[in-house]
Amino acid sequence: MASETPGAGIGSDDPDTEQGPLGRWVDSAIKNPDRVYRAMFYVAMLFFLVTTLFPFYWLLVLALTPNNLIANMGLVPKGFNPEVFIAMFERVPFHLYMFNSFVLGITTTVLVLLIASLAGYVFGRLRFPGKGVLMLGILAISYFPPAAFLIPLFELFTGNTAISIGMVTISTPDLFNTPAPMVFPFSALFLPLSIFILTTFYGQIPDGLEDAARVEGTTRLGALFRVIVPLSAPGVATAGVLTFISVYNEFFFSFLMNNGEADSWAPIVAGILKYQGQFDTPYNLMAAASIVGVLPVAILVIIAQERIVSGLTAGALKE
Amino acid sequence: MATEQQSGETFSDTQRSGPYASAVNWMESLSETQFAYLLLTPALVLLGVIAVYPLVSTFSMSLFADRLTGTARLGEFVGLQNYVDLFTGARNYALPSQFLPTFTSEFPFVTNIYSSALAVTLIFTVFSVLFETLIGFGQALILDQDFRGRRWVRVAIIIPWAVPIVIQGMIWYLMFQPNIGFLVGTSENPALLNQLGLIGTTPLRNTADALFLIIVADVWKTSAFMALLILAGMQSIDRSLYDVAKVAGASRWQQFKLITFPLILPTVLVAMLFRTIDAMRVYGIIQTMAGCQTVPSLSCLVVTTFNTPLYGTSATVAFVTAGIIAVVVSVYIVNFASEGI
Amino acid sequence: MGDVTLEHVSKHYDDVTAVDDMNLDIEDGEFICLVGPSGCGKSTTMEMIAGLTIPSEGKVFIGDREVTNLPPKDRGVAMVFQNIALFPHMDVYDNISFGLRLRNYDKEEIERRVERAAEIVQLQGMLERMPDEMSGGQRQRVAIARAIVRNPGVFLMDEPLANLDAKLRVHMRTELQRLHKELDTTIIYVTHDQAEAMTMSDRIAVIDSGQLQQIDPPLVCYNEPANLFVAGFIGSPSMNFLDGEVTADGFSSTNIDVEFDPADLGIEAGTDVTMGIRPEDVYLVDDEALVSNPSRRIDAVTDVLEPMGDEIFVYLKLSESAETDLEDTSGVANDQLLMSVAPDTDIEEDEDVTVVLDRSRVHLFDTATGEAISHGIETAVQTSGAPGTEAESDD
Repeated sequence: MASETPGAGIGSDDPDTEQGPLGRWVDSAIKNPDRVYRAMFYVAMLFFLVTTLFPFYWLLVLALTPNNLIANMGLVPKGFNPEVFIAMFERVPFHLYMFNSFVLGITTTVLVLLIASLAGYVFGRLRFPGKGVLMLGILAISYFPPAAFLIPLFELFTGNTAISIGMVTISTPDLFNTPAPMVFPFSALFLPLSIFILTTFYGQIPDGLEDAARVEGTTRLGALFRVIVPLSAPGVATAGVLTFISVYNEFFFSFLMNNGEADSWAPIVAGILKYQGQFDTPYNLMAAASIVGVLPVAILVIIAQERIVSGLTAGALKE
Repeated sequence: MATEQQSGETFSDTQRSGPYASAVNWMESLSETQFAYLLLTPALVLLGVIAVYPLVSTFSMSLFADRLTGTARLGEFVGLQNYVDLFTGARNYALPSQFLPTFTSEFPFVTNIYSSALAVTLIFTVFSVLFETLIGFGQALILDQDFRGRRWVRVAIIIPWAVPIVIQGMIWYLMFQPNIGFLVGTSENPALLNQLGLIGTTPLRNTADALFLIIVADVWKTSAFMALLILAGMQSIDRSLYDVAKVAGASRWQQFKLITFPLILPTVLVAMLFRTIDAMRVYGIIQTMAGCQTVPSLSCLVVTTFNTPLYGTSATVAFVTAGIIAVVVSVYIVNFASEGI
Repeated sequence: MGDVTLEHVSKHYDDVTAVDDMNLDIEDGEFICLVGPSGCGKSTTMEMIAGLTIPSEGKVFIGDREVTNLPPKDRGVAMVFQNIALFPHMDVYDNISFGLRLRNYDKEEIERRVERAAEIVQLQGMLERMPDEMSGGQRQRVAIARAIVRNPGVFLMDEPLANLDAKLRVHMRTELQRLHKELDTTIIYVTHDQAEAMTMSDRIAVIDSGQLQQIDPPLVCYNEPANLFVAGFIGSPSMNFLDGEVTADGFSSTNIDVEFDPADLGIEAGTDVTMGIRPEDVYLVDDEALVSNPSRRIDAVTDVLEPMGDEIFVYLKLSESAETDLEDTSGVANDQLLMSVAPDTDIEEDEDVTVVLDRSRVHLFDTATGEAISHGIETAVQTSGAPGTEAESDD
């Protein structure tokens, strides 16, 4: 077995051999397989970095190039046109779409955290008949395709579903073009992941702390929100970040549950698609809007990468 | 302290009145089971109204004929006729042409296999999950190493996962739109990918090319998800096992083959199942990159018939999609139930 | 105010009965220990008093109120937990004042009370620390301060010293007794350590298999155990037990017979009984002549000696085949006996010795039911010297 010290082979080349540089490298590689391994490692890493990051660079190239020059582009921008980041807001009120996305994301996150906290407490800390079945049921529902929910939900939120209570039949209110037809489906879609993350975290708080809080004078719910939730802050943050990113990224209901106008609470999905004009295709604006649209989640990933990694793995590997 | 006896104070809470206090007292008087179900009510109501009710409703709609004229949404009750028509091809007259299976029954899978929602969905699922697993594995192996700047490499690898689907679609549209860049050429001046025969000169308008590029775009975005799960599996392996293997003289490859791979295989399978379920519902990337008319997936078919509007057909396709996924999910659940969760 | 009563309280979990028809009457100001092996139901009993567990059957009273179904917050009790259970996200002041803040006390009152509680447990100047910056003993004091700050009618303590090291534990025992004297409030204390129970409590409630075995002052439990379980559980090392039966002449077993008239004790001949004798009630006879009645002499061979400093434990073999099992401290063994002698006794291993039992301290139990039949087969005579000699000579 070769030495594990990095770079142990450096300088070990035999000066007496009369081989070319390649021959020497092969020679030392055979003597020292760790070197080959390290070389492969860096090549692979470089490959992954280039493939994941190139598309972002391409956006920048297109954004900075004036639209009339965009044709047969190479690897560098043709020109330097930073005004594109102003022009994109003039063409489409992209800031309003982003605002809508934020409102939808935050509303959904708050709703999901609240509901998932209650459910996570129940699944993590209480014993009751039907627990296993309910957990599996919630899990199973989260896997069904949004397409299977589309028609009834569309009918429900456009006020075309009639509910009969005895003799009285009432129609559901028309909520289309409000946040509701998106917030509720988002919440249902992303609720299970948060439930599983919070179940894990809440389940780990020692029983004694909850008992102590209750003897000291809280109710069971009081103990949850005064002791268990604060102590599970990392888990709550994880669930919150993941929910927000998921909502911000969602396409299906974001695309279908509104009329695509900024004043109808349409999120960035509609904003990005709005750049495809009838008479022209402003590639530079599309690229600029994509960059601006990615920034919030990119920043979130940089800030909260530990949370995201732990949350994704916990949510997926648990049960 | 005993002399400041205020023992009465601790009892006064129950005497507090008002609707809030009585609600609190009522909740505290519930048994553990009652309390559990009370707290689950919001979650169950939400999932009931947004998921269970629509699922049931979709199924019941699928039992009715499409209504082509008039104001009612659905025609008369036809039982399972929609399902029969869909599978025998009798419903083809109503479907937009791109969803039609054009290969003949004598030569299945021979010509233009992509012109069927099911075929497109399955091809997308199989290839995207396969390549995401392989690439995710590679990324996980990189991230499992200790090197300077690992944190930033990890951020770089995760970021595509966090990109909104609509922007993901836009990015790849901008890369493969003809005449824009060096990746797609013209017939006179073909680009490298054209010369290799991987894609034509209008790849986003050709079903096969577009499906290929959509798979690539999905692999770009989602490999990181696989990588994170596989990485978590790798890092939960007891490091002393590697020391044992090294002492026994195992090479790096043997360590991987004999320790790493068998121990993370269960994790990888679970992750693949998650991705399979997710891939089966592909819609957004298709809609933004190439459009449903070019790459017709099952979800595309549901939305297109819904917009037409052919509610009966749409509901039938939606429920079939759900059924296929339900089979995959139940494999997963049975698998885990047998391991005794 | 602080009296606690349990009436026919039971708790069932699925098919397990944790507490079975428990009746307890605890008086105001009493320091009472619930003691028993782990899993005996003592913690469940305490949780039912606290309101953390709701009984399946029966009623719980605190003061003159029935609290059976009341949540913990409305019961006027405070509790100290085995794992101490300080809220790790709050500093000492916030931990102590948690209950007061929940009850919306005004700021000055809270401050005054926290100061006073901190003074009682000697935590002055530490109020701004976080729990993880404190030692185990300090954290335990915070937990106690958190309990006393509300002036509860009843203190519940669930093995509060179990996680402390031995030295600190003994110290805290004394502190708790001082605290009890100072506060004069009912303390219900759960422990599996019978020594802790013996030293601190006014009365001990011995619990086994979910049932109350005996509730009496420590010395009564020690001297007049109600049944075999209590006899074996209280006292360390445990009482010697020998199985035998009652004959017309008294107790008869494989190696030891004890003479008495069964009629005096109201036992019928032929009954299977278990005799119990504590190690300190077995006496070494230096001079055989002193034993007036030779039939009361027991010949044995010493096996293992365990010098403890203030006494020596001597394992005696009553027959050739006997083997000392040091692990087994509670079971019945008919061919061996544990004896405790003064530290200056001249004794060696594998030595032939003669011993006698203190007849006033011989316990008889019905083997079938485990119930005590008698404690002492004759009344002790107040004389000086070894009862094994003087008492016997009176016969």
